[in-house]
Amino acid sequence: MISWDLFGAWLCAAMVVWIYSFVYRDNVFYKVAEHMFVGTAAGYSIALALDSLNRVLISPAVRSPQTFLTTSWHYLIPAILGVLMFAKYSRKYYWLARYAVAINIAVGTGLALRTVPIANVVRQITATIVPLWGSDPVKVFNNWVLVLITLGGLTYFLFTIFPRRVEGARASPQHLVYRALYYIGIYGMMVGFGALFANTIMTRVGFLISIYLIYIQPQAWASIIAAVLAAIAIIVGILRKK
Amino acid sequence: MSGLSSLEKVLGSKELLYTLLLLSVILPILHPLGIPVEISQRTRDVYGYIEKNLRSGCRVYIEVYYEVAARGELEPNLIALTKHLFDKGCKIVYGSLGAFGVVAFSLFKSMASDLFEGKEYGRDYVYLGYIAGGEAASASLAKSIKGTISVDNYGNRLEDLPLMREVDKATDFDLVIIVSSGTDVFSYYVRQWHTPYGVPLLFAALSVIAPSIEPFVGAKQAVGMLVGQRSAAEYEVLVGRLGLGIASMDAQSTSHMLIVAFIIIGNAIYWGKRVSSKKGGSK
Amino acid sequence: MSLVVRRHIPQLIVTVIIILTVAFYYLYINKGIAESFTTADKALSDWAVIITSFALIVGGIDILRFHLVRLRKEGLKQAPFSAVTIGLLVVMVFFALHGWFLSYADPKAGITITTQPQFRWLYLNVYAPADAAMYSILVFYIASASYRAFRVRNPMALLLLVTALIVIFGNTTIGGLIWPGFLPLRDWIMTVPNTAAFRPITIGAGLGTIILGLRLLTWREVSWLGRRE
Repeated sequence: MISWDLFGAWLCAAMVVWIYSFVYRDNVFYKVAEHMFVGTAAGYSIALALDSLNRVLISPAVRSPQTFLTTSWHYLIPAILGVLMFAKYSRKYYWLARYAVAINIAVGTGLALRTVPIANVVRQITATIVPLWGSDPVKVFNNWVLVLITLGGLTYFLFTIFPRRVEGARASPQHLVYRALYYIGIYGMMVGFGALFANTIMTRVGFLISIYLIYIQPQAWASIIAAVLAAIAIIVGILRKK
Repeated sequence: MSGLSSLEKVLGSKELLYTLLLLSVILPILHPLGIPVEISQRTRDVYGYIEKNLRSGCRVYIEVYYEVAARGELEPNLIALTKHLFDKGCKIVYGSLGAFGVVAFSLFKSMASDLFEGKEYGRDYVYLGYIAGGEAASASLAKSIKGTISVDNYGNRLEDLPLMREVDKATDFDLVIIVSSGTDVFSYYVRQWHTPYGVPLLFAALSVIAPSIEPFVGAKQAVGMLVGQRSAAEYEVLVGRLGLGIASMDAQSTSHMLIVAFIIIGNAIYWGKRVSSKKGGSK
Repeated sequence: MSLVVRRHIPQLIVTVIIILTVAFYYLYINKGIAESFTTADKALSDWAVIITSFALIVGGIDILRFHLVRLRKEGLKQAPFSAVTIGLLVVMVFFALHGWFLSYADPKAGITITTQPQFRWLYLNVYAPADAAMYSILVFYIASASYRAFRVRNPMALLLLVTALIVIFGNTTIGGLIWPGFLPLRDWIMTVPNTAAFRPITIGAGLGTIILGLRLLTWREVSWLGRRE
């Protein structure tokens, strides 16, 4: 007897194999899986938005309307503005949607603006102000690396006024310092990007391993059947092209 | 065509590489190599922080923000951290600023059902569900959770849950853990929870985004960071509950070695061709 | 409708809200004002939470509209696929609404939107594996790109490769068998040079956010208004 759970597990395995078949060649099973994904993802997104709206706005309004009207009545304003977002489909009244967008953008920017100077700028600068002399040579070396690469990166990204070297004349000390920091910045970033590249492989391989462990291996027969179907679709696709 | 060019063409066939990659993942899982996992100092530091600073009854907030694809890297971290926190007697409030967090939490709970045995929902742990709004939601929750949402993911009124009577705002928590596959969310918590209220943050990040959020850890805006599957495997060893993290390590090794081999061969062919063309050999 | 209502009032709202949220965070006049600011500030965040929910619904409906148009305009080659998307979208929303209805009609059953059984079945067995598979396909491309494009042509590329190899050996357990020093060396790379390399980017992102805020304040940033009059 096939239960919904068993059917679901087989569907899981089939979906994964059909999507993987794309790396060999585009085929009809991949397209079906892709469109199933888009449909469920969009439906899921709408449902979860409703869920959030329900728990923030509708549930308190329905369960205790008196309290809601006295303390949270102002929630009706964003609710009305939210409904007005659908005006974007109108040729005439599309601008009504801008009011809701304006509030969202302003609140997001305002919230970020008030802490970004501390979190992203001041704290990062103070963390780079470290002792460059001391008794522990390893710590001193690390601090030099930290300071030089940070200054180098800033020189590369932010200090856009570069002291020029006059043709024929000797390079000025400012020019040499800038040039040195500029190259330290580039090489420092190469180290960072090397680490990023290695970690990217780690993540991508991790995705593949977990897919195999979670969805394919437990339902081996479903995977084999799905793979055979995908292989047939790929062969049919190749023959048709020929 | 020279030997190097034909070798390059054979190895460059995507079907060969993809098949080898699949085999390098599947074979070590079917026949584990049993390579021991060494524990890094950074993972020990995170473990040590929780051991030293959290006591029984402590309240921890965990942000579950990863899509299903990132399960393999982040779910083992979440499971191991939850086990550690429950072993310490902590109470946990889970929440999600991303819609996919609800699926991730549901799958996490079914994978780690043993951890929740003997734990009472509402008293020992709560799942708030998805709260839309990104940074605005984060700021709002930091001020008052009950003032933002009235019911949890399962429709229970927050006022009726004993744990939610103990906690409401950012400063009520002893630690905030962000398990996320998105860089933005770490910034939200640094900006809206740590900077204004000084709440200690702990990051559990996908490997690929770890380098870019490292400056926050370096500036002591977070107490530490667990990075992907490797940290998960190490933490599983530390808390004594082996799972997906440790199971993946052999496959990670073999597939990484395959990719490294292909990079080295690709470069050897490139330099071989370059040297031979300079010498006037075949191109 | 005049330009004032269509453009200038929304822009004015942006300016006023940004100024108030930032100014009152830093300025302290007296306790009463600080308290009312905190209340207003919380309310504004909640407004954004509510509006975001509506925006997500509008986004979902955009996808529905797109596929409805494709269903009508394109032939049999594309129509069945769009029908699959529309069908699943409608079914998902239907079951979600059913769960929502039950959460009020029969609260004791404990069924909500996210716990409605059929909705849950669909997201666990269709959405979850498809999402995971879609992302994990990238491993094939990164492996292929590593072989085809990662060439050591200059000292910078060599440095990138050497760092990548150290971090790869540090990340994997096999690296520990080759040389136990890979793991501490990886940690050093991540915490010292990597932190230093990404710090200017973090600072730059912060400055970028500030500049974007200033552009919004001064009405120079208008992309959010959408179509131009």
